[in-house]
Amino acid sequence: MAGEGFYQEYEVFSRRSDTSPMQYQFSLLAPNAELALVMAQENFLRRESASDIWVVKRSNIRKMTLDEKESLQRLDNKEYRNTKGYGYLKKKWRQYEQGMLDEKEIMSWGGKQSDENPHS
Amino acid sequence: MDNAISFEMLTEEEKYKHFIERIEAKSKIEADDWMPEEYRKTLIKLISMHGISEIMGALPEKEWVPKAPSLKRKLGIMAKVQDEMGHGQLLLRVAEDLMKPYGKNRENIMQDLFTGELKFHNVFHMEAPTWADAGLIGWLVDGAAIITQTNMLDASYGPYARALKRICAEEVFHAQHGESIIMALAEGTAEQRAMVQDSLNRWWEALLMFFGPGDSSTTGTSKQDITIKYHIRTKTNEQLRQDFFTKYIPRVLSLGLKLPDESMRFDDESGKWLYRQPDWSRFKEIIKNKGPKSESRLRLRKISYETNEWVREALSSRSSGM
Amino acid sequence: MKILTPEEAIKNNAYKNALTELLYQLADDDFILSYRGSEWLGLAPHIEEDVAFSSINQDTMGHAAMFYQLLENLGEGKMDGLAHNRPANRWRNACLLEKVNGTGHYLNEPKYDWAFAVCRHYFYTSFKKIRMESLKTSSYQPLADAAVRVSIELFYHQLHWKTWFQQLMLAGGEAKTRMEKAIQTVCNDFGGVLGLGSLGESMVTFSLIDSEETIKNRWNCLMESIFEGVSSSLPETLGSMNGDGRNGVHTQDLEAALKTLSEVYQLDPTATW
Ligand SMILES: [Fe+2]
Ligand SMILES: [Fe+2]
Repeated sequence: MAGEGFYQEYEVFSRRSDTSPMQYQFSLLAPNAELALVMAQENFLRRESASDIWVVKRSNIRKMTLDEKESLQRLDNKEYRNTKGYGYLKKKWRQYEQGMLDEKEIMSWGGKQSDENPHS
Repeated sequence: MDNAISFEMLTEEEKYKHFIERIEAKSKIEADDWMPEEYRKTLIKLISMHGISEIMGALPEKEWVPKAPSLKRKLGIMAKVQDEMGHGQLLLRVAEDLMKPYGKNRENIMQDLFTGELKFHNVFHMEAPTWADAGLIGWLVDGAAIITQTNMLDASYGPYARALKRICAEEVFHAQHGESIIMALAEGTAEQRAMVQDSLNRWWEALLMFFGPGDSSTTGTSKQDITIKYHIRTKTNEQLRQDFFTKYIPRVLSLGLKLPDESMRFDDESGKWLYRQPDWSRFKEIIKNKGPKSESRLRLRKISYETNEWVREALSSRSSGM
Repeated sequence: MKILTPEEAIKNNAYKNALTELLYQLADDDFILSYRGSEWLGLAPHIEEDVAFSSINQDTMGHAAMFYQLLENLGEGKMDGLAHNRPANRWRNACLLEKVNGTGHYLNEPKYDWAFAVCRHYFYTSFKKIRMESLKTSSYQPLADAAVRVSIELFYHQLHWKTWFQQLMLAGGEAKTRMEKAIQTVCNDFGGVLGLGSLGESMVTFSLIDSEETIKNRWNCLMESIFEGVSSSLPETLGSMNGDGRNGVHTQDLEAALKTLSEVYQLDPTATW
């Protein structure tokens, strides 16, 4: 494959820690992905930690046009998709003398040894 | 997509109206969005000049990088000048994306710099003959830059606003780096104190000029009205200069330094600083690359560009992926 | 035998002499090379690379500062004095590392040679990595600790310079010619980098560091595999053409560099800057 010039556009993404999502940083010019990668951290993350970096050639990104961005709009009527639409359950469970297993409660379970004794 | 509502189907006039509505509503314009020619051209001019000024601005301080008087100062000023190159990188990327529809890239920016087509900021044409200048640049030139750059943090052009956000965060370090050098000198020996005063005298006029002429009647070239119209910035040159005085004059005086303008004072009635105007005809000359260091700094950039041409050439023909 | 503190180290004169000599080599190598790197600031082939290169120079000067600190702790004087106030014959860096970046001066017609920068830095970083590995088991514990810390940043330096080295070597044409010339220049003086100077034997006896031979073999092994990957080979001989820096023999380049780097400091060595 023939080269396309020194000034190729690369988009740089990084993850702050192993558990953080990939985040867009900025773009840089480099002749190829390897050099883009060795320059990425020092250009955009000199004062931040990173546990991973991706460089993506810009021409490989399919972006949205202005018209297409219009397609991102939605009505605010989708309560059935969220816990918001099921808030009445809290009251219901109270009638059965049970607590509600809400998001806060469920997200707190992850992998932890349970110290709760169901018979107490 | 239904053609009847497609943006592409709108007339130029309707597009312009839609665009103005968007910036009035504070939504951000992105690189691939439609924008009026005047907006694009104004941004290209503003941002490429800003970007190349960062690159050229690295040079006066860079003179002092190898000479900084301690390990800590050597490291500090290296990091500071590196940031300025980094600011150039961010801003040139933003400018390059705007120029893309005209088939231009970084190569063209460099060539425009060498031909004098692309100007760089007046302060970076000036001499920096002592270590105190390295400190004063960090303290007051960066201080002035902070005032103008924070004024555009909410610019309607998204990529510029995002680059400025990164830049301003680093400017805080620059200002403190400069303050630290200046404070050490101001609290030092008589020679060190004299060095700072000398430097302030030397940079005073350039600092006043930094914000540009008060209105276009002075030089006939002010672009401030257009940038305000398009929500790129909010304050005028004079407002910014006044802000700078308010923030820095008390600090300059508190270190025991003398203002090079004896007539300067704060006028309670108008709520403004009164000061002696710099020589605006000299300003016009300086930014035409006729300042004391214009030639030699352009020469440095050009040598670096040409001497390393083979590197860019060699890797241009290489395919991606080893 | 482990020596845990500077107080302990200075009890044995022979030990202390070997240790300080080694520390000067480590500190001066990193300091003078990062000084050369700092002259490049703003002049690199590409803006993005300018930024990346500067980080490496800052890291390297940071390493020098760590070694000067160890010397200061041994009573050699303040670290800023060590870096800014010693005559050239007291410097222990290898002559390769003091060599100018190219013709001209950083403020005047700097026709700097990127091929030389890549080769010098790449060869030196590879060597430094091996040297730090060896120092991790040094009998002087503060040095072993420093080696662990320094090694962390060498992964990036190594990756960065290796990428440039391989790409320019594989680019062929003018780039390859320039690179081969630079490799020769670097090898002409690389023997001086690998050397331990006149107290080398004592350093090894005191288990401060592995022998010249051992480190040289490890480095050769590493370089051979790299050169194979770019279908080339490392020159047979490694010399010290420009002098034996480990024993205080230096070039005009160092004299000039010291004058520049201490210009402000020397205005008043007792002042606070
Ligand atoms: Fe800046
Ligand atoms: Fe700055």
